[in-house]
Amino acid sequence: MSNLDDLLKNDGASIDADDDFEAINALYLERGWSDGLPIVPPTTARVEKMLAYCDRPWNEPIAKIPPRWGEATPLRLAANAVMAGCKPEYFPLYLLAIEAMCEEQFNLYGIQATTHMCAPLVIVNGPVVQELGINGGHNAFGPGTHSNATIGRAIRLALVNIGGAIPKTGDMSTFGSPAKYSYLVAENEAESPWEPLHVERGFPAEASTVTVVGAECPHNVNDHESLNAEGILTTIAGTMMDAGSNDPCYEAQPVAVLGPEHAKTIAQDGYSKMDVKKFLQAHGQLPLGKFSKENIERRLRVKIADRLANAPLDALVPMVQRAEDLIVIVIGGAGKHSAYIHTFGATQSVTRALKTKDGRLAKSVQDFRQN
Amino acid sequence: MNRTIKLVTPDAPPPKPAAAPEVTRRKLDPTGIRLGVLDNSKGNADHLLRMIVDGVRAEIPVKSVVSLRKPHVTFPATREVLDQLEAEADVVISAMAD
Repeated sequence: MSNLDDLLKNDGASIDADDDFEAINALYLERGWSDGLPIVPPTTARVEKMLAYCDRPWNEPIAKIPPRWGEATPLRLAANAVMAGCKPEYFPLYLLAIEAMCEEQFNLYGIQATTHMCAPLVIVNGPVVQELGINGGHNAFGPGTHSNATIGRAIRLALVNIGGAIPKTGDMSTFGSPAKYSYLVAENEAESPWEPLHVERGFPAEASTVTVVGAECPHNVNDHESLNAEGILTTIAGTMMDAGSNDPCYEAQPVAVLGPEHAKTIAQDGYSKMDVKKFLQAHGQLPLGKFSKENIERRLRVKIADRLANAPLDALVPMVQRAEDLIVIVIGGAGKHSAYIHTFGATQSVTRALKTKDGRLAKSVQDFRQN
Repeated sequence: MNRTIKLVTPDAPPPKPAAAPEVTRRKLDPTGIRLGVLDNSKGNADHLLRMIVDGVRAEIPVKSVVSLRKPHVTFPATREVLDQLEAEADVVISAMAD
């Protein structure tokens, strides 16, 4: 696609360093090109292997990442992917996720710069999940899976190094978030009784997609006692109700993550995915009086003036405005747990599919590379 | 002694700064400026901006003030808002506050 030696002659494209792992790590840390963990040195050989999976010119931006609006070229992204420890075959999916989160509706500028503790959550669907070994089962949000850990980490490094989301400078998050190290999972399609997320969003099952959500960390929903759909969903609805969430003030798209055991019980009672959404939207509503007086007067009555300007304190405030806005997915392994993920609020999720150069849906990274 | 190797830099430089805006060359009316205020809708931004406007009035003549608000703190101002500020203000003050 391009000649790497020529590209590295450009001003600032490369640096010379002693071939010493500790020294290189110290240098990258000193320059702020780091998430604090050791990095794999992005040598030209490693970067070139990564770029072998790129079908576009290596020096042309695929997106601009806010808040710095740095140009995300495949070359820079490849350096970050190497640093994160990615295998070269992860690279197409990584680029796809970066492109998705740079779409205007996602509001990456806000997500990067806010005092809120959100981070882009990447949900992967389709055959690429199995091909790259992305975990959607046991401990999917946790450590131990190479693709989840390194693709997610590469995204964070790009957001920092290219986008300028440097803590206390471009990233003003009050707390930060563990999700800002790595936040990528697959949907557990095999254990889901319903259509997967990408099919729900109009893609064929054989498409490989990423969906990005501007999300908080997952909050666990422990329900070992309920024996039917209504019981489990009532517990999840109870977990949704949170006076400190951004979601009620926006057209938010929070995520209800159903554990496979909960999903099975709910589906056995005849609930479709839309039935789940309708139940949770209807029951996940907090009385106005549960918010503080100041929040009622200065935030809720102002931001949701059409419904709450003069509403009584027992008026219900939905945690998600419309049932169809709720994202319902199945993730996880054995155990009677689900999870709920609040969002930044002022963001809309984006789903994008992996495509070949001629615009056809790629079934896999291998298919992508051969075409 | 270690050999030297070439590494690819992972960062992107900030975009080149735009040319000096036209406003720096505007002629201001000596009888008073037309002041624009853009409230970014953060909590207390309105209070802060009101204090700033009062402070400006105390220092220099102000002919008019146009105050507009962004619908959400996290989204950019609409084109209509920016056009109105451009048409009706010589100087625009925006502010954020938490």
